[in-house]
Amino acid sequence: MKARLMELVSLAARWFVAGVYIFAAYDKVWDPAAFAKSVATYDLLPLWAVNSASVVLAWLEILVGAQLLLGLYHRAAAVWASGLLVFFTGLMLYAGYTGAGFDCGCFPGGGGAAAHEAGYEGALRDILFLMPALWVVWRPGRWLALTPQASGRDGEYLSDSWGRHIS
Amino acid sequence: MSISRRKSSLWRACLATLVLAVVGGFLFNWLMPQGVGFIPPEVAKPLWKAIAPAQAKELKEQGAVFLDAREAGDYGKARLRGALKLPAGEIDKLYRFLEPTLKQAPALVVYGQSTSRFPAAYLAQHLKRQGYEKVYVLEGCLDTLRGQGFDIQEIKRQGASS
Repeated sequence: MKARLMELVSLAARWFVAGVYIFAAYDKVWDPAAFAKSVATYDLLPLWAVNSASVVLAWLEILVGAQLLLGLYHRAAAVWASGLLVFFTGLMLYAGYTGAGFDCGCFPGGGGAAAHEAGYEGALRDILFLMPALWVVWRPGRWLALTPQASGRDGEYLSDSWGRHIS
Repeated sequence: MSISRRKSSLWRACLATLVLAVVGGFLFNWLMPQGVGFIPPEVAKPLWKAIAPAQAKELKEQGAVFLDAREAGDYGKARLRGALKLPAGEIDKLYRFLEPTLKQAPALVVYGQSTSRFPAAYLAQHLKRQGYEKVYVLEGCLDTLRGQGFDIQEIKRQGASS
């Protein structure tokens, strides 16, 4: 019973983070120029690195989202998701500290209206998103996952696709 | 499976994700029409010429028009005295109002550069394509021009502490 509950929580957390990443990334992948402009707004990277970094970041986000959705090496994807969210949180805190006031470029529909303003609220949102991502790192789960993956610490908790203990 | 083997396979999977993102991103960017170049074309293949602050001051004395290519908010905080506002992102909207002045100017000097952005280059490239012959981009950002004899106008907002 506990194993099934854990699997259910893992699946919900995995799909939630997948949804966040896919929603955040599809527009960045499709319109790299607009996303590069958002990245440049932070004024952190040298000019020559802005376009390349924004393209790689957008693709990393969409791949992480797809991996989490399909359960394909989803623990590795969750590690990336968590790492990126820690980075984004730092970025939002920095933006809040400097009083940036521009759109964070995190989600579609931003533009000049600063629908998702970079700052402390954004940092709080990213910390909330970080919780389920860390859960998936801790317990990736196996339900509806393409890659069979042991859950939890080695030997502590292993289950098959339907949550039955297998060791 | 041992812990060390599982850890190494985890890092391998992480690395594979990164490699796939790099390859996928660059391939997509290269194949799709909306892809962006590594370096913006106005920087990679500039039609404009860069100009040192000392030469820019000489041009100013000869009647050159200075254009501020930064965003309107930045222009509203500080600018070179007498510079006209023409943010790179609002060229279509504002150019027609400035066109008569720009057409009469002997030269145009554009400024606006930061770590990640170079709107001055974008605007200068646009102006060159519009047929302006003497378009220069001022080297450095507004902060670096402070100590070089340029008259910088700081705009203090009402209610702001001094």
